[in-house]
Amino acid sequence: MRTKLYRRTFHKLTLLTGASVLVLPACSDDAVTASNGVTLTSDERNLLERFAEVFLPTDGTSLKPRSEVPVVDNIEHAFTLMDAPTLDQVRIGLKLFDYGSVLIGLHFARFVNLSAERRLAYIKRWEQGIEMQRGISTLLKKLVCYGYWKDIEAGRAIGYQGPVSDAGGIARLGNAPMPRATNG
Amino acid sequence: MANLPIATTQGLPALNVTTPEQIPEAGLDLEADVVVIGSGAAGAVTAFELARSGARVVVLEAGPHIPSSEFQEHTPTAFETLYQDHGNQLNTTGDLAILQGKCVGGSTVVNAAACFRAPNQVLAHWAEVHGLENLSAEALGPYFERVERNLSVHQNEPHEVNYNGRLLIEGAKKLGIPASPVSRNIRNCALTGHCLAGCKTDRKQSMLVTYLPWASEQGATILSGTRAETFEVSGRRVTAVRAIATDAAGTQKPVQVHAGLVVVAAGAVQTPLLFQRNKIGNSSGHVGLNFACHPSLAVFGEHENDIYAWVGATLSAQAGDIENPLRGGYLLEAGMVDPVSTSAGIDGGVGSDFVEFMENSKKFQAAITLIHDHNVGRVYLDGDRKRIEYDLDDRDFESMREALRGTARIYFAAGARRVYLPTTRKTTIESADQIDSVVNSLQNGKHRYRITSYHPQGTMRMGADATKSVVGPNGLCHDLDNVYVPDASLFPSSLLVNPQITVYTMASYISDQILARA
Repeated sequence: MRTKLYRRTFHKLTLLTGASVLVLPACSDDAVTASNGVTLTSDERNLLERFAEVFLPTDGTSLKPRSEVPVVDNIEHAFTLMDAPTLDQVRIGLKLFDYGSVLIGLHFARFVNLSAERRLAYIKRWEQGIEMQRGISTLLKKLVCYGYWKDIEAGRAIGYQGPVSDAGGIARLGNAPMPRATNG
Repeated sequence: MANLPIATTQGLPALNVTTPEQIPEAGLDLEADVVVIGSGAAGAVTAFELARSGARVVVLEAGPHIPSSEFQEHTPTAFETLYQDHGNQLNTTGDLAILQGKCVGGSTVVNAAACFRAPNQVLAHWAEVHGLENLSAEALGPYFERVERNLSVHQNEPHEVNYNGRLLIEGAKKLGIPASPVSRNIRNCALTGHCLAGCKTDRKQSMLVTYLPWASEQGATILSGTRAETFEVSGRRVTAVRAIATDAAGTQKPVQVHAGLVVVAAGAVQTPLLFQRNKIGNSSGHVGLNFACHPSLAVFGEHENDIYAWVGATLSAQAGDIENPLRGGYLLEAGMVDPVSTSAGIDGGVGSDFVEFMENSKKFQAAITLIHDHNVGRVYLDGDRKRIEYDLDDRDFESMREALRGTARIYFAAGARRVYLPTTRKTTIESADQIDSVVNSLQNGKHRYRITSYHPQGTMRMGADATKSVVGPNGLCHDLDNVYVPDASLFPSSLLVNPQITVYTMASYISDQILARA
């Protein structure tokens, strides 16, 4: 019964398991407005923090310390760009990931309460799981990547140059001159 | 210096755009000869060509007008401000990102400037299967030449091919695979690597700095933030387009344009949705069908030394057999964008594996693959929500695997020590002799790959047979007497190559057809 419910709920989530460049699935028609003013719940913040801890451990590396990057705040900003139905689905996805350890009976604790080692193993299991697990684990990875690498200095720590034109004094050319009047 | 009004101080054509804030609350009621919906590749070219022939043209653009001086050379910010759905337009499955610009100038503002003519084999197929003998390479040749001249299209010079591009060419040539520098629509490229975030210094010859200011100079009225919603229809004619302009405060203002001619150039996703919303032009039942998108994969090859693939021209070199798209040809384009896109394009593992992957990203040789995919998708409205139904067809998956094999071979030939594949969990090839076994083990399926489309097309199929297509050979809708479609939605099959030059060319051709009929 539990497995059936799990699969059915996951099936409904096919829309949300993001693979976009920026991370978040939002496929509204333009008429649908963004979810301005949305804030992450404490559970969502906790999940994203715990996920980031094991997915992107920056201590002792050349990367900018994750604690100096507003990863979760950046994700919260991305949430404000989503329409309400999509945001609802994403939130269900996050919840499923967090409670999935309980639902599918592999652990007796939520993801956020697992040890770092077990959280890492959990992510690896989901990325090789059924379609929905692959999708949701990809969504979470992309959320964290977006939240972290949006920071320009985080990019510079790995050799990415960031913005260059203003710093380099590169002149703007302006609009192109009118073309010669020729026919095709 | 960055904010100098260059156009007015140097006598260059100025782009005048009416923003929603400038529209009175009571709205606007405009009269025109032509209303053009969309200001991207097709809309801008059509607007200019018709305006310079004396027509009164109004352009309606749903996206904002963001002048290049405001571009930030920061990809995440660009996604949020310049792209459709803030960079998050997905297929219904949720495993394919479909990137389109949503701003004045459309996708031309945020593309990588790669320029290809439609392959002759594709044009021949269009003639043979879809009755489009009028679109032969010979007939379109002068139009290709016109837009290439207008947009300063040229093959990258040696200094515009970065190390990453040179590695692609070097590896391909060792294997006898055709390779060369890419051609781009650019003037004096500053090699910033920020094409996808918009060219801050106006080097890329997007519609924002070419055809739109030229149309403006010829008297065209351009409205930003104004979304076409409904058509007023009388018999086989659309007599007016009603739109909504939304200002920064969220105030909606009605805009109505009465015009003798309507040009719908909103792109392969929005154009069919507009027709579906208004229930017009669909006696064939093909509006929204036949969606294709060039599903694209990123592939990285790790080298011993630093490459900094994101430095220099965003796209610098190409490899592959682009003259044979119908026989499994694929196209590889050397390029890499920024850390957000790098981490989104390839799964580098988790934990210390992922950290090492990102620390090593400066050592990556990088390219994307393009294939000639089949038109298996569709675009439709589900209530108010758009749906883009597209899953990778098994035939196209085979083409994709072939492209992955080719890319890996080239990388190892160029000296890579490891190749990363774009699966949803870390997959690497550690040596050339593993290529076949690893790639052959890949299976088609949902959420197995990180796929991006930069080229949606095909939802308003052009063809001679009105029962199997939406738009006739001259760009006029079969069911309507005054509605033309010049954008990528009319391509009967996918091109394989980047479509912008073919869209400009088709829009120029269709503009001439409109003028010949006037």
